[in-house]
Amino acid sequence: MPDIKVTPLGAGQDVGRSCILVSIGGKNIMLDCGMHMGYNDDRRFPDFSYITQNGRLTDYLDCVIISHFHLDHCGALPYMSEMVGYDGPIYMTHPTKAICPILLEDFRKITVDKKGETNFFTSQMIKDCMKKVVPLNLHQTVQVRADKRSFLNLCYLKYKTAAWIDKCRPDILITESTYATTIRDSKRCRERDFLKKVHESIERGGKVLIPVFALGRAQELCILLETFWERMNLKAPIYFSTGLTEKANHYYKLFITWTNQKIRKTFVQRNMFEFKHIKAFDRSYADNPGPMVVFATPGMLHAGQSLQIFKKWAGNEKNMVIMPGYCVQGTVGHKILNGQKKLEMEGRATLEVKLQVEYMSFSAHADAKGIMQLIRMAEPHNILLVHGEAKKMAFLKDKIEQEFNISCYMPANGETTTVTTNPSVPVDISLNLLKREMALGGPLPDPKRPRTMHGTLIMKDNSLRLVSPEQALKELGLSEHQLRFTCRVHLQDPHSDTDTLSRIYSHLKSVLKGYAVQHLPDSTVMVESIVLKVSSSAEEPDLKVVLLSWCFQDEELGSFLSTLLKKGLPSAL
Amino acid sequence: MDISSDEADDWFMESLHIYRDLHVFQLEHPTKVIEWTGEKSICVADYSSARNEILELLLPLKLYAGGNKGLCPERDFKLQHGGFCDEPVECLRHIFGKRCVVTSGQYSSKLQVWDIGEGDSDIIKRTGVINPKCPSDKGRKIASGVTDGASVLHGSRINDVQQTELVSGRVLYAVGTDSLDAVSGLQFVNSSTFVVCANNGTLYVGDTRDPRMKHYVLHGSMSGSHWVFALRKDQPHSDPAACTVARLSSFGQVLVSDLRNLCSPVRQAQLNLQQNMATCDFLNVTWAPVLDSCLAVSGFDGKVHIFDTTSWSTVSQTPQPVFVHRGHDLSHEAKTDGTLLVVTTHVWHPWRPRTLLSAASDGSIHVWDWVDKNFEHF
Repeated sequence: MPDIKVTPLGAGQDVGRSCILVSIGGKNIMLDCGMHMGYNDDRRFPDFSYITQNGRLTDYLDCVIISHFHLDHCGALPYMSEMVGYDGPIYMTHPTKAICPILLEDFRKITVDKKGETNFFTSQMIKDCMKKVVPLNLHQTVQVRADKRSFLNLCYLKYKTAAWIDKCRPDILITESTYATTIRDSKRCRERDFLKKVHESIERGGKVLIPVFALGRAQELCILLETFWERMNLKAPIYFSTGLTEKANHYYKLFITWTNQKIRKTFVQRNMFEFKHIKAFDRSYADNPGPMVVFATPGMLHAGQSLQIFKKWAGNEKNMVIMPGYCVQGTVGHKILNGQKKLEMEGRATLEVKLQVEYMSFSAHADAKGIMQLIRMAEPHNILLVHGEAKKMAFLKDKIEQEFNISCYMPANGETTTVTTNPSVPVDISLNLLKREMALGGPLPDPKRPRTMHGTLIMKDNSLRLVSPEQALKELGLSEHQLRFTCRVHLQDPHSDTDTLSRIYSHLKSVLKGYAVQHLPDSTVMVESIVLKVSSSAEEPDLKVVLLSWCFQDEELGSFLSTLLKKGLPSAL
Repeated sequence: MDISSDEADDWFMESLHIYRDLHVFQLEHPTKVIEWTGEKSICVADYSSARNEILELLLPLKLYAGGNKGLCPERDFKLQHGGFCDEPVECLRHIFGKRCVVTSGQYSSKLQVWDIGEGDSDIIKRTGVINPKCPSDKGRKIASGVTDGASVLHGSRINDVQQTELVSGRVLYAVGTDSLDAVSGLQFVNSSTFVVCANNGTLYVGDTRDPRMKHYVLHGSMSGSHWVFALRKDQPHSDPAACTVARLSSFGQVLVSDLRNLCSPVRQAQLNLQQNMATCDFLNVTWAPVLDSCLAVSGFDGKVHIFDTTSWSTVSQTPQPVFVHRGHDLSHEAKTDGTLLVVTTHVWHPWRPRTLLSAASDGSIHVWDWVDKNFEHF
């Protein structure tokens, strides 16, 4: 029975360095290659020594699959491919491929430039790594190194609702337990809070800075603000830095199939950035008096325009900065989210942080209800929970096992879980072949036993067909070679050759009931396709030579007949 | 009821002003109990599915971040512990001072005692069963004892009300009356005094040192409906002189009485609420623990209604609520499969003055902090 082996290399007890090794059908696949954001030393990387103690991973891995662009899932990718060494394919979706290098470069810059680390991957390594990436579409199937398994159903699980998953019935569904124990506040309430905060600041004359990544949530927040401004008849200006608009439009066209209905509708109806209330930003506007809202990059306030604006506005408590997500250690974003009120800037200058800091997470993870729905729809045979302590997942394990009647595993780092599978390989069978094999008859002794079937399996593209050998030969344009066996059985019989043949005919007819036994005018007896002839020499007329000839397909019957005749003919005939 | 997306949008916009905080969640299965098990945690329990899960949930940490609220992104419930009950849960009570809850179910008259996993394990484990020592209806009502020795007061009809010690299963007290009135609720006033409310509105006041009870029947004109009650007291152990009782009927009548004088209500009102439901199962009235004289009412429809009883008098009038939570009807997540939505239960936060939690028959559970228009402040 084929087994699937799953070993987490880096899920561990907390979030970070997601990396799961799967061995399936003799192939090794790495799922995700993340960085642990809490460590500054080697502990931040998954433990690749499990795969091999020394040298490159290329020979040991058939492919790498990256689920999404968060650093705890792809942060160690350039390290793995360029510093440890891997030259095989890296699969990810188109949006992930577009965003990954940007995030990795940002991360690299912060770690090397700001924190002064030396043993880290370089910009060139990121570029070289991305050259190995093969981007895929949703539901696309890929053959991994000529293996027939259709393995890659890249359903972007964290970001889509269960409605997108069809009943793929995987052998194993791997999910993070942290999601399964969360009950998420509705998206609407998060948006409500966002609007409330922005409104409060604007009302008291303050300025709101929203540092964003190049795309994604920024567009949704813009639509939200635009609707709100319209509804409340607000006049304060909303600005979007132009760097964003150019990049964003480009990315947006790439991702339009990946976004939700609302954005898609808006994008189609008009150019994303022809809003009524939202205008392009100019550096000089930051000094304008009065309330305003500005979306600017980069997202972690570590450089560029958003940092410049932040420096100008930080000293006024009427102002506000809304951080929309996780910030890497070392960035200004990270520091202010930790409550730091004094920041050291270049040239020993200190910046006092008096403005209001708001941390609003808009990233859409699945939750308990979502995970259960997902399992219900996908119908996996087994479940694997990662990112949690076994003791703290006992209830969840019970719940899943009871509700779906499937096994639930929770391996620790470096621990291998082996799952026995029962894969069914669907094969089409030709109607003719089926009819023929179902026909009655066959060699004795027991027609009720399961019998071997003779057919030819044709594997072409992604289909498997079982057809009769003749049809296979015809399709392939090959001619059939007939294989005939001949054997001679010696019998002592005083009758004439002709009579002996008749006696043989009668004998076989009585024994082989249900078979076609014929006595032909050309002095042969035929049983199915087996031909029998009798001859003798002039010197020894009583020593009959029975010649049997059969083709390969009737081997069993032929052997049976020769054995039967060797026993001699019954005298009663 | 079909919510037009306009109505939902309107409410959404309005919510920016009428709530300080608003969190909307969806449980897998609806609950009719919300019980505080700690300062930041609640227990809910399934009453409709095959597996009847009991869950202990940690409230969103953002609510507790105080001055640093802006820096806390945690706005989700976290599942801390879970367990499975063999019947739909009717009543669930946290035992005072312990990491333990007691439930009653819809299929039997037994009570089940549960240990909410300590330390490592996340399982809510059943540690005992209490079988009432007399014939009883299903779905007994429960109240926690208020002394250190863990005990519960429970009953289905007045004549089977008893107090049982949890560890030993010993019956500490049983009432000495043969009234067959069905119990709608009960509660301890202090370590020995307790109040029981019957479905017909009759109130019984007892003392665990004496099997006899005093009872106070309702005026003839008020009979014929189903009644529930709420006891307002300032501490676990209260002087009856400091306690107020509110009774709510399925016709929307409310009576507020002093515990020392239950014969004549000090205030009453006829609320403008019609019961849509065939069942009185979800009727609920509660006193605000911090705000003076405020009570919350639910179970008539998909809303929670909050009233200030200060201006009420002995003459029944129809007051306007100071706030109505319409989120279960109008949030974008509200289900519209044709069945009538009803709020199954609600509770007040123990020390945040205007924060409530409410649950509805579609599995939704909301945490909300409403703005009192009379004292507008952010």
